[in-house]
Amino acid sequence: MEILILAFFVLGYLVLAGADIGVGMALPYLGRSPAERREVIAAIAPFFLGNEVWLVAAAGVLAGLFPRLEGELLHGNYPVVVTLLVAWVVRDMGLWLRGRVPGARWQAFWDGAIVAGSWGLALSWGTLLAHVLLGIRGPAAALPALVPAALFGTHGLTFAALRLRGTLRERAAVLSGGAGEWRTYALTSAALVVVGVLAGLRLPLEPGSAGPLLVPVVLTLLPFLVAAQAWVWWTFRHRVSGPSYL
Amino acid sequence: MDTLDLARLQFALTAGAHFLFVALTLGLATIVAVIQTRATFGGNPVHLRMTRFWGQLYLINYAMGIVTGLVMEFQLGLSWSGLTNYAGDVFGSALAIETLAAFFVESTFLGLWIFGWNRLNRWAHLAVIWVVTLTAYASAFFIMTANGFLQNPVGHVLEGDRLRLTDFGAMVANPAAQLAFWHVLVGGLITGAFFVAGVSAYHLCRRTPEQDVFRKSLRIGIGLALPAVFMNAVFGGISFQTLQPAKTAAWTNDAGRLAEAQAEMVARFGPGDYLPPVGWVQAGGITMLTLFAVMLAVAGLSFLLMLFRPVVRGFRLWHWLLVLMIPVPFVTMLSGWIFREMGRQPWAVYGLLRTSEAMSPVTPGQMRFSLIAFCATFAVLIAVNTWLLARQARRGPGAVALGDRPADAPVPVPSF
Repeated sequence: MEILILAFFVLGYLVLAGADIGVGMALPYLGRSPAERREVIAAIAPFFLGNEVWLVAAAGVLAGLFPRLEGELLHGNYPVVVTLLVAWVVRDMGLWLRGRVPGARWQAFWDGAIVAGSWGLALSWGTLLAHVLLGIRGPAAALPALVPAALFGTHGLTFAALRLRGTLRERAAVLSGGAGEWRTYALTSAALVVVGVLAGLRLPLEPGSAGPLLVPVVLTLLPFLVAAQAWVWWTFRHRVSGPSYL
Repeated sequence: MDTLDLARLQFALTAGAHFLFVALTLGLATIVAVIQTRATFGGNPVHLRMTRFWGQLYLINYAMGIVTGLVMEFQLGLSWSGLTNYAGDVFGSALAIETLAAFFVESTFLGLWIFGWNRLNRWAHLAVIWVVTLTAYASAFFIMTANGFLQNPVGHVLEGDRLRLTDFGAMVANPAAQLAFWHVLVGGLITGAFFVAGVSAYHLCRRTPEQDVFRKSLRIGIGLALPAVFMNAVFGGISFQTLQPAKTAAWTNDAGRLAEAQAEMVARFGPGDYLPPVGWVQAGGITMLTLFAVMLAVAGLSFLLMLFRPVVRGFRLWHWLLVLMIPVPFVTMLSGWIFREMGRQPWAVYGLLRTSEAMSPVTPGQMRFSLIAFCATFAVLIAVNTWLLARQARRGPGAVALGDRPADAPVPVPSF
């Protein structure tokens, strides 16, 4: 059960927050003017807080149910995890700050932070996965790291196609080749889930001793967490019709 | 400095930065939720403008709390895997519940609050900010539970080379956790209260428009600050009775007590230096208590002055005093934290695991890399966000983006 709980949050992160990362990576392609970029960001704006928190939850589950693995995984990949965290911070700050001051230079700078942070996140995840899945470390991991990064980018495009309108929607659909928007989104989601499951199978998933106490608590909380997230998805189920707070 | 010192510095800078923003978050969230409640029930447009203005400042501050918190959570596994290895099965439970029961919900609902403005039903929107506020409290509660365990480990047994949780109730009911939680929570309220009072006083002093907003806000700030300072003295006072013997010895700097604490530890754990750094503990404690006295005096005086409308409008010297008070609770929070955490040294888990044993096998190069990367990023972001907070605070309610747009006019098309 411990493993299923961890898988739930990690896979949830990959599918949900993976789309935010992908949209950030594709921001210069999707949004060609400041106004367009703001609308592209509105596609992920209401979700990004509730999406990235899946990774915080996964780290919490690791700390509580797999404390040994938490330590091994994090300090065993020290430089990659540090880069991932810095990229995450930079991406988030780009999102939070871009709309707080009017002015083209300010917004261009923080848009740049969003793009750089998103690429940094995708490549760090790629490097981490290259290590876990293939055992490749160091500069040689750069090549295999590109595969998951490309997957994040594609996933972001399929999500953007679901959320945007008009020209932006057409641009986002560039890779779908006429297939339905929902089908391509389901496909990239499934691909991310497969990568996540494969990585999980390669990890020494030995639970610690807190399970008997913690697992019932987590299982009780889960319906509430899913309901809270479902409320967000329901509230913002419409296509983007203009800029948001960000 | 050796790698251990660098790892401690890195964690201290991250946790310290996090603590500053989180303190303001706890206070401002409460104040915003209360004002929004009045706006929703009373329908007074002034209260709605107040909600949006203080809500905007709350959000700018909140974002920094999140990003520093992320880095802190992951640092436990990055730099302190000795601690997670040894005690993760115990205090990791508190962290896990914190992320799931508190932060997960807080973050999800905060998105709903920001972007659901003018879109959600106003009662639902009000419920959302209260969920955000209460889960922020819950977050502080479980983090202090984890910290309380490190200060005064209870509810566990040692099995082999790691601890196992035997009594979750005991871990939560730990006085070192409970008292500290209330102390920190009320400290957060004080921080928010002086912030609101100070920013309001600035606008009253400069005679900016929207005097009504700031007269009401000033009263809320001071009306909260005075009882909160009193309450905090109570929790802080009782906490002094739960200090570890070595911390008490360092605080009093009594040679006899220090020798006694050291001798007792040597008898239990063999030769070594078991005393916390006296200078840090004393400086932290004295700063905290001195600034507490300053806050008590200013809050008491201000409580009397705010009863007179002409004084609220025109007593500029007092306005400036309140503006100068804005940083004081922050410094007090930090010094109290230094007192508590430096006084725990050299232990990571008091009496069980030394800080030097808690570290991951990380190379000096790796540690320098992460320290520089985190410090550079956070230094820039803290500077930008502080500037932004000050800018937004100065510009007043007229320039607030939060919730200023009616729900989208075009007929929305469902995307899923």
